[in-house]
Amino acid sequence: MDLDYNQIMSIGVYGSAIGLILIGLYAVLIKKHLTKIVIGLSIIDAGIHLLFIAIGYIKGGTAPIFSPAGEKIVANGGVMVDPVPQALVLTAIVIGFAVTAVALSLVIRLYRHHQTARIDQIKSLKW
Amino acid sequence: MNSLLLVILILLAGAVLSFLANRIMPILSGVMSFLSIGAAAVIFFVQVSAADSMAIPISGFSLHWGINAYSWLFGAMVLGLSVFVALYAIAFMKGKDRLGYFFFNFNLTIMAMMGIVFSTDWVSLFIFWEIMTWSSFLIIIYAGISEGRVGTKYMIFSAIGGYAMFMAILVSNSLLGSFQIADLVSGFGTLSLGNQALIGILFMVAFGVKSAVMPLHVWAPRAYADSPMAFTAIFSGLLSKMGIFGMGILMISVFAQGTIGQTFIFSNILAWLGAVTSVIATFYALIQKDAKRLLAYSSIAQLGYIIVGLAIGTPLSIMAALFLAVVHAIFKGTLFMVVGAVERQAGTTNMEELGALIRKMPWTFMAALFSIIALAGVPPLGGFVGKWMLYESLITSGFGANYFLVIMVFLSSTAAFLYSYRFLFGLFLGQEEPEFDHVKEAPAIMVVPMVVLALLLLVIGAFPGLLFEPIANAMAYMGVDVNWNMTVLSNVWGDEVHMEPLWTSILVMFVIGATFLTFKTRRNTRYVTTKDIHTSGEIPEAHENMTFSVNFYQPFERAIEPVMKRKMDTYYNRIGEGLESLFGFARKIYTGNGQTYAIYVIIFLSILILIGETIFNK
Amino acid sequence: MVVSPVHFIAVPLLAAFLIPLLAKVSKELVRIVPGLVIGYLSVVSVILMTQVVNTGQPIIEVIGGWSPPFGINLVFSAFTGFLVSLMTFMAFLIWIYSYRFKKIDDAPAQKYFILFMMLVTGSTGIVLTGDIFNLFVFMEITAIAAYSLTAFYRDRDGAEAAFKYLLIGSFASALMLLAIVLLYSQVGTLNMAEIAQRIHTVPQGMKITIFTLFVVGLGIEAEMFPLNGWAPDAYSQSPGPVGVAFAALVVKAGVYSLVRVVFTMFDIHGAYEFLIIMGAITMVIAEISALKQTNLKRMLAYSSIGQMGFVLIAFGIGTNAAVFGALFLMFNHAVIKGLLFMSGSYLVYNTPSKEIKDMAGIGKKLPMVSFFFALGALAIVGLPPFSGFWSKLYILMAAADASFYYLMGTILIVSIIEIVYYFRVMGRLYFGKPQNDVVLQKPTLGGIFAMGVLATVIIVIGIHPDFVTGFIQSAADTLLDKAGYINNVLQLTNL
Repeated sequence: MDLDYNQIMSIGVYGSAIGLILIGLYAVLIKKHLTKIVIGLSIIDAGIHLLFIAIGYIKGGTAPIFSPAGEKIVANGGVMVDPVPQALVLTAIVIGFAVTAVALSLVIRLYRHHQTARIDQIKSLKW
Repeated sequence: MNSLLLVILILLAGAVLSFLANRIMPILSGVMSFLSIGAAAVIFFVQVSAADSMAIPISGFSLHWGINAYSWLFGAMVLGLSVFVALYAIAFMKGKDRLGYFFFNFNLTIMAMMGIVFSTDWVSLFIFWEIMTWSSFLIIIYAGISEGRVGTKYMIFSAIGGYAMFMAILVSNSLLGSFQIADLVSGFGTLSLGNQALIGILFMVAFGVKSAVMPLHVWAPRAYADSPMAFTAIFSGLLSKMGIFGMGILMISVFAQGTIGQTFIFSNILAWLGAVTSVIATFYALIQKDAKRLLAYSSIAQLGYIIVGLAIGTPLSIMAALFLAVVHAIFKGTLFMVVGAVERQAGTTNMEELGALIRKMPWTFMAALFSIIALAGVPPLGGFVGKWMLYESLITSGFGANYFLVIMVFLSSTAAFLYSYRFLFGLFLGQEEPEFDHVKEAPAIMVVPMVVLALLLLVIGAFPGLLFEPIANAMAYMGVDVNWNMTVLSNVWGDEVHMEPLWTSILVMFVIGATFLTFKTRRNTRYVTTKDIHTSGEIPEAHENMTFSVNFYQPFERAIEPVMKRKMDTYYNRIGEGLESLFGFARKIYTGNGQTYAIYVIIFLSILILIGETIFNK
Repeated sequence: MVVSPVHFIAVPLLAAFLIPLLAKVSKELVRIVPGLVIGYLSVVSVILMTQVVNTGQPIIEVIGGWSPPFGINLVFSAFTGFLVSLMTFMAFLIWIYSYRFKKIDDAPAQKYFILFMMLVTGSTGIVLTGDIFNLFVFMEITAIAAYSLTAFYRDRDGAEAAFKYLLIGSFASALMLLAIVLLYSQVGTLNMAEIAQRIHTVPQGMKITIFTLFVVGLGIEAEMFPLNGWAPDAYSQSPGPVGVAFAALVVKAGVYSLVRVVFTMFDIHGAYEFLIIMGAITMVIAEISALKQTNLKRMLAYSSIGQMGFVLIAFGIGTNAAVFGALFLMFNHAVIKGLLFMSGSYLVYNTPSKEIKDMAGIGKKLPMVSFFFALGALAIVGLPPFSGFWSKLYILMAAADASFYYLMGTILIVSIIEIVYYFRVMGRLYFGKPQNDVVLQKPTLGGIFAMGVLATVIIVIGIHPDFVTGFIQSAADTLLDKAGYINNVLQLTNL
C-alpha cells in the first residue's frame, strides 16, 4: 500500500483524534477518581477539537490570515485553510476550560464534604 | 342572563362567598352556602326551561349546555335534596374546624353536579365530572382519618373512572367528529363492533365507579362513612346518582342505537353485576357495627337495584330504576342526616353501644322510621312502588335468566329487612344506657330538613304519580315509550291493583294507627325504662345486658362467612402493594452513581448508532 | 423605542458582568438591577411579539452586519417569540420570588444573580439563535451557570448533584460538538436554515449518525430517558427558585433545540416515532420513580421529567394539533411546575427532614403556601378547570385523531400514578397530625406575589384558555412551516 505523506498525516491526525476520544471515554467511564474523570472529559474535548481542525484543513493551505504574506499566497493560486473550524475550536477550547474549572472546584468541594474522591462512594442522592 | 349559567354562577359565587365568610364568622359560611343553593334552586324550578341552552366557544371546539326532561329530573333531584342538606349542614357543622374549606367544596360539588346535568357535550360533562371528583375528595380528607388514605383510594378509583371516560370521549370524538352527546347517540350504530365495545366498556367503567358497581365499589364504604355526614347525605344520595345519570344515557339511548347494545354483552353483564353488588353489599351491611358503615353498604346495595333496572332496559324496569333513584336519594339522604344527628348528639354511631334514643330524639326517630320503611320497600312509603315495579319488570322481561336475577334481588331485599331492623333497633330501641342520658334532640335546624324529607317520602308513597310524571317525560325524551298506567299496578297474571284507593286506605289506617298510639301512650302510661323490671326477684344491674346489641346476627354471619372472606379490597390492596414494590424496584435504575449514568448515555448512543438505520429509515 | 432580539442576549450578559461593579456602589443594586433587566426584557418580548403577530413575519436580526448564512442571526418568530416571552415572564417571577430569598445574603446574592443572568442569557439565546454553533455556545453558557447554581448551597449534597450534572452535561456538549463537526464537514455551513436546505444532499448513513449524535446530546438536556440521571439530583439539590428556572428555562431550551433539530434541520421521518417511544418510556419510568419518593423536591423532579416525556410524545405525534398541545403543555409545565417548586421549597424549609411524611398538617401553619401547592397539584395532574387540563385534552385529542389508542391508554394510566402521589402529599399536608407549630421560614412578600401571579394564571387560563391559544396556535404553525423558516432567514442573502 502506497501512502504519501499527506495520507499518512491525515490518518495520523484522524486516528489520534479518535484515539484521544476513546482514551478520554475510558477515563470517564472506568476510572473512579473524580480528578481522573475530569481529566478524561478534557481529553475527549481535545480529541473533538483535533477532529474539527483536521476537517477544516485543506491540503497545502496556508493560515487564514489576511496579511500581506497570506494575500500573496492566495494571489499566486494558493489556498487558505477553512477559517471557520479554527474559530469555532477556539471558542470550544474556552468553553472547555470553563467547564473544567467548574468541575475541579466541584471536586474540591466533594472531597471536603465526603473525605473521598471516589465517584462510587459519593452516592447520597439516589433512586 | 342565561338561567343555566346563572344557576352555575350562583353556586360558584356561593362557594367563594362561604369560603370568605368563614373569616368573618364561621356560622355565616354555612348560611351563605344554604342561601346560594336555595337561590339556585328557586331559579332552577322557576325559570329554567327546555329553551335554555348556551354554547361556550373554546379554541378548536365549543362547550354546550342545555336542559331536557331527563336532565331536569336529575337536576331537580340534586337541587331539591341539596337545599335540605345545606340547611341541615349549617347546624351540623357548627363549631367544627375550617368551615370555609368545607362549604367551599360542598358548594362546588353541588355546582359540578348541576354542571354535569346541564352538559350536552361530553367535554363539559367531563370537566364538571372531574370538578365533582376533586371537590368531593377534598371533603373526604377533611375528617383527617388515616391521613387521607381513604381519600386517596377514592381518588384512584375516580381517576380510573374519569380517565376511562376521557378516553371514551376522545375515541368517540375522533371517530364521529363531535363531542355532542346527541351525536354519540345517533352515530353509535355506525361504528364498528370493536369500537362500540371499546367506547361502551370505557363509559361503563367510568359511570360504574361513581355508582359503586361491584368490582369498582371498594372505595365507597369508607368514603361514605368517613366524610362528615352532612356531606355523605349528598355523596350517597346524589353524587352516586351522577353515575346513574350517565349510565341512564348509555343504557337507555346510546346502546339502544348500537348493534351491540341489545345483545348479551352489556345489559346482562351489567344486570348481573348490579344484582351481585346488591346481594354482597347487603351482606356486608348486616355485619357492620357502625351505623354509618351500615348505611354506606346499604347505599351500594340500593344502587345495585337501580343498575339492575337500567340494565334490563324494558320501559317498566327503567321507570322502576329512575323511581328508585329519586326515592333512594331522599331516604338515604335522610338516613345519613339521622346518623349525623345521632353522632352529633350522642358522640358515637356504634350500634353496639347506642340504644333507646327514641325518647331522647323522637323527631329524628320518626324521620329514621319513615326512611327505613321506604328503604325496606314496605308500603305505604315510596320504596315499595319502586321495588314492585322492579320485580314486575324482571319477571315480565322475557329472558329466562332474569328469574335468577329476581331471586338475587329478592334475596338482597329480604336481607335488607334485617339490617333495616338492626339500624332502628341499634340506635333508637333496645336498652337505655346511662352514659347516653344526657342526649337531647338535635337542634330544630337539623330536625326540620329530616322531617320534611320523611314526609315527602310519605307523599310520594301515597301519590307516586307525582314522580311518575317527570320520569315518564324523561323517558319519553330518551326515546322510550311509556304506556304504563300510572294509577294501576298490574302483574303478569292479569291482576290489577288500583293504587290510589289502596294508598289512601293504607295511609288512613297508618295515620289513624299513629294517632291512636300517640294518644294512648300519652295518657295513663308510666314511663318504664328497660331496667325497670325484676326477674325472679332480682333487679338487673346498671350495665347488665337485657337485649341483644352485640353479635346481633351471629348465626347469619356464620352462614355467610365463606362469602365474606374474600374481600375485593384485599385483592386491590395486594395489587397496589405489588405495583408499588415493582415501581420501587424500577427506580433503582437511578443508582446515584454519576458514572453509571454516563455509561447509560454511552450504551444508549451505541445502540442508536447500531440500529439507527432501522429506526430512522422509515 | 428601538428594540431588537439582540437585547435578549446583550442586556442580561452585560448586567451579569456589571453586577460585581454595582456591588461596590450599593448592595441593594445587586438585587434590583437583575429585576430591571428582566423587566425590560419582558417589555421587549411583548413589543416584539405584538409586532410579529401583527405583521405575520418573523423578525430576523443579523449580528455584526454579516448576513446569513455567513454571520450569526437571531430569529424572533411566533414560535421562538412565544418561548422567549414565556421564559422572560417566568424569569421575572423567579426574580421577584428570590429577591429576599432566605439564604441569599449579600455576597452570595451577587453570585446568585450573576449566574441567574447568565442562565437567562443562555436559555433565551438557545431559542433565538439561528446558528447551530451559536446554539452550542449558549447551551454551554446555560450549562455552566446551571452547574454552579446547582451547587449553590454549601451545606447540602449540591456539589454531588452538580458534579453528576456536569459529567453528563459534558457528554452532551461533546456529542453535540461532534455532531456539529460532522455536519459542518458534510454541508459546509452552520446556519440552521441553510443546513435544512442542504440536508438532503448528505448520505443517509452519515445523516443518521449525525442525527443520532444530536438526539443523544440534546436528549440529555431535554431529560430523555435513559439520559436523565442528572435531573432528579439537580432539581432536588438546587435552591427553590433555581428549580423553577430549570423547569421553566433550561429544560424548555433543551426541548426547543431537540424539536428544532427534528422538525427543521433534519428530514428523518422515523424520528417522530422515536420521539413518541422515548417520550412514553421517559414518562412511565419517571412517574413510577416518583411514586415511591420520600423527598418532596425529588418527587417534583421526577414529575417534571415525566411531563417532559409527555411533551416529547406530543411533539412526536407531529400533527399541527399535537404540536399545539405540546406547546400548550410546555407553557403549563413552566407555570404549574414553577408554582409547585416555589411553594414546595417553603414546605421543605419548614420540614427539617425534607421528607414528605414529616409534612403532615403543615397546611395549618402555612395556609397560603399549602393552598398554592394544592392548586399546583390539581393543575399538574390535569384536572379541570385548571390550565393543565386543556393541554392534556388537546394532546390526547390529537393522539386519538392519529389513532394512537394504546398511547392514550398509557398516558392515562401514568396520569393515575401521578394523581396517587400528588394527592397523597395533599392529604398529608392538610389533614395529617402536625408535629409542631413552629414556622421556621415564612414566605416573603415577593414569594407570595410570585406564587399568586402563577396561581392566577393557572385559574384564568383554566377557565378561559383562549387567552393564550391564539399565540400558541401561531407558534405551532410557525414551527411546522419549515419552508417559511428557510425562506425568511435566507432571503436576507438575496438583498
